[in-house]
Order: sequence, then structure tokens, then C-alpha cells
Amino acid sequence: MKKESTKYYPLIPVFAAYLVLFLIGRNVPGMWQLVAMLLFYCALGQAFNIFLGMTGYVDFGYVAFMGVGTYGMALAITKLAHIEGLGIAIIIIGFVMALFMATLLSLAVGAVALRLRGAYFAIATIGVNEGLRFFIEGARIWNGSEGLIFTAQLNQILGRETASTLMTFWADIMVLIIAVSAAFITLYYIRSKIGYALTALREDEDAAKVMGINVTKYKIIAFVTSACFAGLLGAASWALKTPYVFPPEVFEIHYTIEAIIIVLLGGSGTLLGPVVGGLIYGISKYYLSIFIPGFQLLIFAPIIIIIIVLFPEGVVGMLKNRFKDSALAQFII
Amino acid sequence: MSLLILENVTKRFGGLVAVDQVSLEIKHGEFVGIVGPNGSGKTTLFNVINGVFFPEEGRVIFEGLDITTLPPYKRAPLGIGRTFQIPRPFASATVRENVAVGAMFGTLSGKVNVDESLEIADQTIERVGLKEHRNKQAGTLTPVEKKLMEIARALAMKPKLLLMDEAMAGMHPNDIDQMVAFIKQVAEEDKIAIVAMVEHIMRAVVGMAEKVIVLHQGAKLVDAPTKEALEDPKVVEVYLGRPSEK
Repeated sequence: MKKESTKYYPLIPVFAAYLVLFLIGRNVPGMWQLVAMLLFYCALGQAFNIFLGMTGYVDFGYVAFMGVGTYGMALAITKLAHIEGLGIAIIIIGFVMALFMATLLSLAVGAVALRLRGAYFAIATIGVNEGLRFFIEGARIWNGSEGLIFTAQLNQILGRETASTLMTFWADIMVLIIAVSAAFITLYYIRSKIGYALTALREDEDAAKVMGINVTKYKIIAFVTSACFAGLLGAASWALKTPYVFPPEVFEIHYTIEAIIIVLLGGSGTLLGPVVGGLIYGISKYYLSIFIPGFQLLIFAPIIIIIIVLFPEGVVGMLKNRFKDSALAQFII
Repeated sequence: MSLLILENVTKRFGGLVAVDQVSLEIKHGEFVGIVGPNGSGKTTLFNVINGVFFPEEGRVIFEGLDITTLPPYKRAPLGIGRTFQIPRPFASATVRENVAVGAMFGTLSGKVNVDESLEIADQTIERVGLKEHRNKQAGTLTPVEKKLMEIARALAMKPKLLLMDEAMAGMHPNDIDQMVAFIKQVAEEDKIAIVAMVEHIMRAVVGMAEKVIVLHQGAKLVDAPTKEALEDPKVVEVYLGRPSEK
């Protein structure tokens, strides 16, 4: 089938988009904030797409993985701040912690909820983020509803200067790295047995089982992978950019909805889709909030209606069909 | 050794006994028709054989291995393939990818990689005559093409036993004859035992099966060579009712 060299062509438009974003952010004054937001939305879409797009299961509690990721980083910094000479290593420990906590939570949620299908799964997962939030507040673990604030610790460990560039620049670069790795993983999954198994189970889970596919295994692979990226994203974009964490903020269902819209808008299950979705969503939200303040909160509904009516397969899904037989086809997946 | 043995298999749904104490035996390479009116338990029997349901009583033995409680995804690689009454393609994937899934996951070694399975898929698709459609999305095929694709998907699994659920339903008589001839040829070439479930199209049964098992209200009514079975007064009664008293 595909030659080795053409195998990675679909990554070109994805990386091109990120490169353009990065260059705009670095070279046009005042744009970095917008670029950082767009990177966050693209990364969020890509992370969620690995589960929602590839399995067709909607996880309404997805933000919980970002939440525990944020806590992972926050805990690493607050608990280890007193150790001398850790320096930048503490950030790495934080990411490992975020990964670990997201994996643990996704295994626990997956083991229960992935036995359910379709709407039942979606409803079962709605409780996850709210439940965790009230658990943390109610049981007063990790400082309960007072949250964790660790600006001082960051300054102390890294020095004021470094901590400040970390928050305003390097955290966003980490988001970019997460987005790029998510793109690699997505393409790898699409091209491997995992992708075939996930497509089969998304289309018809019973038929997939009869074809010899261990559907539970593949659903969990997709779920945990997706959750891990969410955890990393939480750690980078929430904990490092704004060095505090409060339960109501990081377990806010709003972000799950945004992730769903981005994936559906761009084209669920495609590689390029979440990037396109993230850009369209982020740019429209940003400029709406400038030109018609308040309206950015109203865009969910119209966007969903537009997706359903005009392109149920998302922007990239539509492009994919249109350019199916042309030379462009190998770039759009 | 028999390929498949069912021993007193019973499957209940609440108070309804869908399959009632059914025993049967299928040999390697045999062509068996399972016949019965609507609601006689044919589909449930299929589901018990390939693991969608586990029976409450009895045993299912495949090549000497007790698979009564083995999940379906573990049975498929042993060599149990299946097609559905209403075709169930993976609609958004291409025909080629659909068939490749069969080769990838449905074979025992489990070590067939993506490229190899796509090759197997190409060969199998050519065999069923869908070559020019191989890059189409499976959801866009005609019903007959979908059936052929399902057969290709099952064949790519290299099954020893192929369960065909109403493979001929809704087909034009000419197509049925062609399909029968094709399936027979494939079964002989690949030495596959075929269990075909048929509700009404007796033409297909007569053309294919060496043996017919008739189910009625979940229980086995007759298990005999085709001609004998279809002329059995009990079978006639199940289908057409009792002859009126003169």
C-alpha cells in the first residue's frame, strides 16, 4: 500500500498550521496570547479526538482528566518545593505525576463506564468531573475548596525570572509539544491495528466482536491515551500558566463541551480535524469577545447547528470526501 | 473429530426458552442448513455458537475445545466466521479496510500485520468479485454487494466454520443461484463447513445443504439429509399447518 515516505504526509498540514501559529505569535506583537489560546484548543481537540473521534463514545466527564493533571503538577510543586536543588526537574516530576493520575483515573472510570454504550456511557461520565470536584471539596483533600496556590514555590524553585517566562512562554510551548505528540500518536493509531479495531467498533461494536476484536481492550487503549494527553494538557496549560488550582475551575464541564464542539466541527476521527476545529472555534470566540462582548458565550448552539446541517462529517471530513480522488487526498486524513 | 458439537444447549430470555435442549453435530467441510419459521430460535442458536450469548445449560464444543463461555472475540480466531442477516458493514471504512479487519483480528496467530491483511483483503475481494468497489465506503454499496463484502470479510478470517445468517434473503432468484454456486465452490476450495440459516428460501437449501436441521419453537424437530428432512410431515406441518380432515 503506502510507501514509507508518504506515510507521514498527513502530518504536513498539521505541522504547517502549528508552525504558522508559532511564527505569528513570535513575530506579531501582541498576538502571543491569541496563539496560546489557539494552541490550547487545538491540543484539547487532538487529545479528545483520540477517544471521541476514534471510538464514537462521548465522554462528558473528560475535563476531569485535565483537572487531575493540573492537580498532579500542583501537588508535585507544592509538596516537593522544600527539596533543595530540584530546579527544572520539578516540572518533569509534575508531568509524570499528571500522567500517573490521569492514567489511574481513566483506568478506574474506564473499567466501569466502558461497559456501557452510547448514551448510557455519556450519562455515566457526566458525574465524574462533578463528583471529583465535590469529593475534593467535601473530603478536604489537597486543601479542599481553598485550592492550591503555588506561585511562591515556583518563584522560589526556579527564580522569579525563569518562573515568569515559564508562565508566559514555555508553558505554551509545552502545550504545542503536547499537540504535536498527540498528532503523531493519532496518525500512528489510524495506521495501525488499533485504528482498524477502533473504526470497526465505532461502526458496529457487535460485528467487531464477532470479527475477533477485543473491543474492551481497544476502547481502554483509546480512553487512557486520550486521558493522558488531557492530564498533560492540564498540567501545562492550567497549572504552569496560572500557578493555582481550584476545584470548581478545573472540573468545569464547559471545557468538555468545547472539546466536543472542536472535534465535531473539525471532523471527528480525522487527524487534521481537531486542528481546524480548534482554530475556527478559538478565532471566532476570541474575536466575538472583542467585537460583540458576551456573544462568545452564545456561539456553542449556532456552531452545533451549522455542523449538523452543513457538514455532519466536520470540515475535514467534507474536504476529505471532496478531494478523495485528487493528489491532495494523501495529505488529508 | 467433529468440528462443532452442541450438547443439550438451552438459552432462555426470562421465561422464554429461545433454544431448548438442542444437540447437534457438524463435521469438517459439511454444508448444513438450519431451517425454521420466524421465531424458531435460529438466530439465537447462531449467537450461542459464536458467543454473543452464553447458554444457561449445555456445552458448545469446537474442535474438541469447550468454548461454552468463551467471549466472541476469542472464538473468531479459532475459526468461526459469521455473516449477518441484515449486513453490518463498518460503513465509513472502505471495502478493503472492512475485509482487512477480518484478516487482522480473525486469524488464530493474531500476528497478521496491517500490510499483510490488506494484501489478503485484496485477494479475497477479487474472489467475491468486488474488485472495482474495493476503495468505496462500505456503507455506499448495494445490499447484494454488502452481502458479498460480508462473505469476503468472513473468508479473510480463514474460518473452519462459517455461519451464514439468511445469506440469500431479499435476493433475486438469479443472484441466489449464483451465490449458491459461489459459496459451494468456496467451501470446497477452502474446506469450510458452512451452516446456513434459512427461513423461507428453500431453493437455496435444496441447492446447498447436505443436511438440514429444522428448528421449531426453540427445539430441534428434524435432523436429516436435505430431501428427507424437507419431505418430513412434521416439517410440512410446521410450515404449512395440519392437513385438513377430509
